[in-house]
Amino acid sequence: MPFKFCLAAALALATLSPAALAAAPAKVDFSHQIVPILREHCGECHTGDKKKGGFSLNDRASTLVGGESGKAVLPGNAAKSPLIEAITSKDPDKQMPPKGARLSPEKVKLLRDWIDAGAPWEEGFAFKKPAYEPPLKPRRPTLPPAVAGRANPIDRILDADLAKRKAPTPKPVDDATFARRVHLDLLGLLPEPDALAKFLADKSADKRAKLVRDLLANDTAYAEHWLTFWNDLLRNDYSGTGFITGGRKQITKWLYRALADNKPYDQFARELIAYTPDSEGFAAGIKWRGDVSAGATTEIQFAQSVGQSFLGINLKCASCHDSFIDRWKLEEAYGLAAVYATGKMEIHRCDKPVGKTAQASWLFPELGQINAAAPQPERLRQLAALMTHPENGRFTRTIVNRFWHRLMGRGIVHPTDAMQSEPWNHDLLDYLASHLADNKFDLKQTLELIATSAAYQSHAQIVGKDTDEHGYTYAGPRAKRLTAEQFVDAVWQITGAAPTRFDAQVVRGKPTAEAVAAMTLSAKWIWGHADAGNAKAGETFTARKKFTLKAAPVRAGAVATADNEFKLYVNGAPVASGDNWENPEAISLESKLKAGANDILLVAKNGGTGPNPAGVIFEARIQFADGTVETIATDATWETLKSPPDAKGKFKSAPEAGGAVVEVANSALWNVKVGKQLATQLAQAATTTQPMVRAALLKNDFLMRALGRPHREQIVSVRPNELNTLEAIDLNNGQTLATRLEQGASRVLAKQWAGSDALTHWLYQFALARVPTNAELTLAREVLGEKPTSQGVQDLLWAVLMLPEFQLVR
Amino acid sequence: MNALPLDPQNTRRDFLQKLAAAAATTMAMGAPRLLANEKVVHPKATADACILIWMGGGMAAPETFDPKRYQPFEKGVPVKNILSTFPAIPTAVDGVKICQGLEQIASVLDRGTIIRSAVQPDLGHILHSRHQYHWHTGYVPPQTVAAPHLGAWMSKVLGPRNPVMPAFINVGQRLEGVGEQEELKAFTTAGFFGNEFGPMNLPYPDDAAQSVRPPKGMEPGRFDNRYSLYRKLVDKNPHREFMSDFQQESMLRSLDNAHRLLSSKERAAFDLALEPKENYAKYNTGRFGQGCLLARRLVENGARFVEVTTEYVPFLHWDTHKDGHETVAGMHKQMDAPIAQLVRDLEARGLLNRTLIVIASEFSRDAMIEGIPGSNARDQATAPSETLQEMKHYGLHRHFTGGTSVVMFGGGVKKGFVYGQTADERPLVAIKNPVPVMDLHATIFTAMGISPKTVFDIEGRPFYATEDGKGRAVKEIFA
Repeated sequence: MPFKFCLAAALALATLSPAALAAAPAKVDFSHQIVPILREHCGECHTGDKKKGGFSLNDRASTLVGGESGKAVLPGNAAKSPLIEAITSKDPDKQMPPKGARLSPEKVKLLRDWIDAGAPWEEGFAFKKPAYEPPLKPRRPTLPPAVAGRANPIDRILDADLAKRKAPTPKPVDDATFARRVHLDLLGLLPEPDALAKFLADKSADKRAKLVRDLLANDTAYAEHWLTFWNDLLRNDYSGTGFITGGRKQITKWLYRALADNKPYDQFARELIAYTPDSEGFAAGIKWRGDVSAGATTEIQFAQSVGQSFLGINLKCASCHDSFIDRWKLEEAYGLAAVYATGKMEIHRCDKPVGKTAQASWLFPELGQINAAAPQPERLRQLAALMTHPENGRFTRTIVNRFWHRLMGRGIVHPTDAMQSEPWNHDLLDYLASHLADNKFDLKQTLELIATSAAYQSHAQIVGKDTDEHGYTYAGPRAKRLTAEQFVDAVWQITGAAPTRFDAQVVRGKPTAEAVAAMTLSAKWIWGHADAGNAKAGETFTARKKFTLKAAPVRAGAVATADNEFKLYVNGAPVASGDNWENPEAISLESKLKAGANDILLVAKNGGTGPNPAGVIFEARIQFADGTVETIATDATWETLKSPPDAKGKFKSAPEAGGAVVEVANSALWNVKVGKQLATQLAQAATTTQPMVRAALLKNDFLMRALGRPHREQIVSVRPNELNTLEAIDLNNGQTLATRLEQGASRVLAKQWAGSDALTHWLYQFALARVPTNAELTLAREVLGEKPTSQGVQDLLWAVLMLPEFQLVR
Repeated sequence: MNALPLDPQNTRRDFLQKLAAAAATTMAMGAPRLLANEKVVHPKATADACILIWMGGGMAAPETFDPKRYQPFEKGVPVKNILSTFPAIPTAVDGVKICQGLEQIASVLDRGTIIRSAVQPDLGHILHSRHQYHWHTGYVPPQTVAAPHLGAWMSKVLGPRNPVMPAFINVGQRLEGVGEQEELKAFTTAGFFGNEFGPMNLPYPDDAAQSVRPPKGMEPGRFDNRYSLYRKLVDKNPHREFMSDFQQESMLRSLDNAHRLLSSKERAAFDLALEPKENYAKYNTGRFGQGCLLARRLVENGARFVEVTTEYVPFLHWDTHKDGHETVAGMHKQMDAPIAQLVRDLEARGLLNRTLIVIASEFSRDAMIEGIPGSNARDQATAPSETLQEMKHYGLHRHFTGGTSVVMFGGGVKKGFVYGQTADERPLVAIKNPVPVMDLHATIFTAMGISPKTVFDIEGRPFYATEDGKGRAVKEIFA
């Protein structure tokens, strides 16, 4: 229904003002006269999602609210309305539109008349449908009835969706395809041929669900696979920009343990926001040397990282000016940044101060607000609590959507960092989010729910270039490209050519309960004098142990702690430190010790303000290839030194011997408090099994970079899904891969095959989880010959690794 | 015969624009998208290929292309007297002088333009890596998205000139085993454009052939057989029904492209051993000289953008924090013959007119001033600043951002032209026509037929070829 401006009403209003009466506005037709002008001259920047300068003419409310520089339209007063001033201004810095033709005098007059008439608007009219605003609160959708026994809530929701669209139900995949998919998705590894055979032979009805549970119970493999995902999302790495100048801190140790222990996601997020020394790196961001723009300070980085990682909110626009593309404002971005800031933060618009100080606040005040006057640690705790507030559905929706994307190949909201967009299935997203909260934020429960659904276990959708042309509809999971880490791990699995050393500063794995129970320390708490119970505040004690090893160890782990802090040096290099005596450190030592003479140096320091008890304890278990184990533990046989080494663990001149080392008499108090943890950490460091080293534990290298592992200077939550030509060149002739294949071929050949077909069978089972066809066997025979050679095996390995069937999780 | 006998770039651009218009799926993936609604008018290209000769580490303008008063080494001379440590020599252009040691470049200067007024911003600490990032991407780090390298823009917007040739090739810079390697990697990338538009890195020009050859120890016959085995396995794959999946198709296409390059005749371009001996000798002043030769061979065979560098390694090459004079004399030796020869060779082949050569560095140097005059940057030099006592303190040891020289040859720039001017007394700042990085980039983009306002949408935000689309080409230097 076209709107006609009601002249009578306008005149009735106008009669209230004698001045207005004198210049009674002419009759204006909003729909036919005003809308075309606004659309032609203003629409490009100020309607729909566009709001340059924070000003939107999209509907009447936004028109009257105005933009960053205040109101634009004063109904009834065209003469004072900045909009009229802008369209008539001759100043190129002020005039609107900034480019293109000026408005004709006739059009300007129409707009004047329209404003003078009270800027009437057709009810409900908007230039573009208002942008979707996602709900904040969680919602528990009613589940449709299960169809054909498909009772998983995901299937109940998706089956109803398929039925409504009369779309076919995607066909289930066979056991082998499922096994490969679920191994790669949950643990990032190919199923080993034996495990695959066992799974295929299993006749029990619930074997798929059992496999999912078994895989998720493999804490080490789980942690070392998902480390990739979280390193990307939290931009953590072992090398990269910023480390060289100390402007960046890793959170590797914290993250690894959080994943291995499956830390509930709410607690996980709280520890990243209200950080500890181990998790500080995420909040602290990257501090660049020199001057950076106002939109790139570590405080602003904090706001951007918290927004993107936990909420799928892109605050990058709003860090500089009110966003043109979503609802976030400059003040809101600065508010979040100010939660982290320790000093005053002046708000800058496009790098220029606006004369306002940021007030600590957070993005969804409807859930509560931060006390801007509280000190920083308290503000961070408040932010952490608001983030994980039970009513913050955005927090749970964001992470379940990311996990859905990892497993199903496409987000329910997509892209996954644009959580303001409408999901293709509200019920599915809301159900998964509530399910996570209901299960105490146990992310493995989310993975189990998805992986045990019939939807996950369906054939991958065949995607063409224009499949999504008219929007996405669900038609089964989508194939995912192997990540760089998955590709490299798979090559290492098949070829047995994984390295033995890795870069991540972590002690791998998780000890068994039995190993912890069986662990008894022989170490004693020691100090430099007998009156350790009344050691001076700040007193330093340096202890040394020299010893000889019969061979290089195959495994060596240690634990240490001190009241109040320690630094550990092995063979003149710093290895570990700790300043919280209640948190003993598990330390990996095998790469630090050598055959022959070794020395270990402990520098301990007492804390407090007056005399108080001091002590330090250390124990290492060193294992050799022959199975024997040697223990090095603090006791009275250690020697004291008069002065500590420099920070690098070096002495300028040979250190002077100090007095005798004393075993601290009254150490029961410490042992009661941390005895269990000392045993646990030593079991952790010395007894855990060490499976194949994983690519996620290594620094980024040429091959992984070529395969899409990001530089992690920015958060990159989704990896490229396509292989490109430069990458293909590296796969064709890169030395890293060639060398691995060469090493791999000799290992493969060492297995003594009955014939080339047997080898091909094994390779296809391992790499593709299926038996080769006769045609494939014939082709393989051509390259392998009767008696496989190293070159033949390398070439077959390469050809199979290059198959899309291998490079995709399908 | 001015134009290169290869794909006319306009056809390529039309194709790309159509592709961009059709790429709705790419957008859904969150990938960058060429913004169509901005009325970007690409200028008419005056160059089809670009060779960036990168003097990483801070090439002192007063020691190269902008000589000032010469002060020979003398004990006890006040350091403030030192502006240049090399005397000026005449060039093929009347009245234009450059520094002694660059005689061969001087002899071809009538084919090029010197910009003497390039300026850099003050980024607090005058750090190489941040200025190098800024120079190569047009954006001051840190950025909230990974900014693409200049070469990646060429690759993304123009594409390859020859379909088998990678569009962006980076010669001479090691990215592993050198100081600040992570900082170098941060801008040696296509950033958010994706790896496809990123550099092919050839740190050792003499070894470049290896990069396009089958792996070491694999004879060509076996390499072809391996690929043919692969193709047959793909054909016989029982999961062929998935082959309609465009992700798989693109995977196959990429492998095919790679194999095509590795078996193509253009592969020979990478092999310096195929260059006639006497010509190789003209270039061979070391890795940099070999890089110039490689750049010529690559451009002859259809490369779009080649960067060749003297290599940035902290405290080596142009990063002269001591022994400046002697180090620079060595750099002169490295650069003089190969750069001059590159110009002559491209000219002799009729390629110079359509190939833009740019010689540039992240900033200049001065004997006294760190940064720009009045900057509070920490002094990077250890040399005493009062009087000269030792030879090792003779040189320009401080980072200077107030006036830097850039030299261009070919690609439509004026011949025998000087643009801009620096002061003749310290501070040697640009006093006429200052050219910030943004405008320098706009000039290079314009020569290549790319509007400086070209804009892509990434994460819903516009990202321009030059910051905010505001870079303005220095029109005066075009012929």
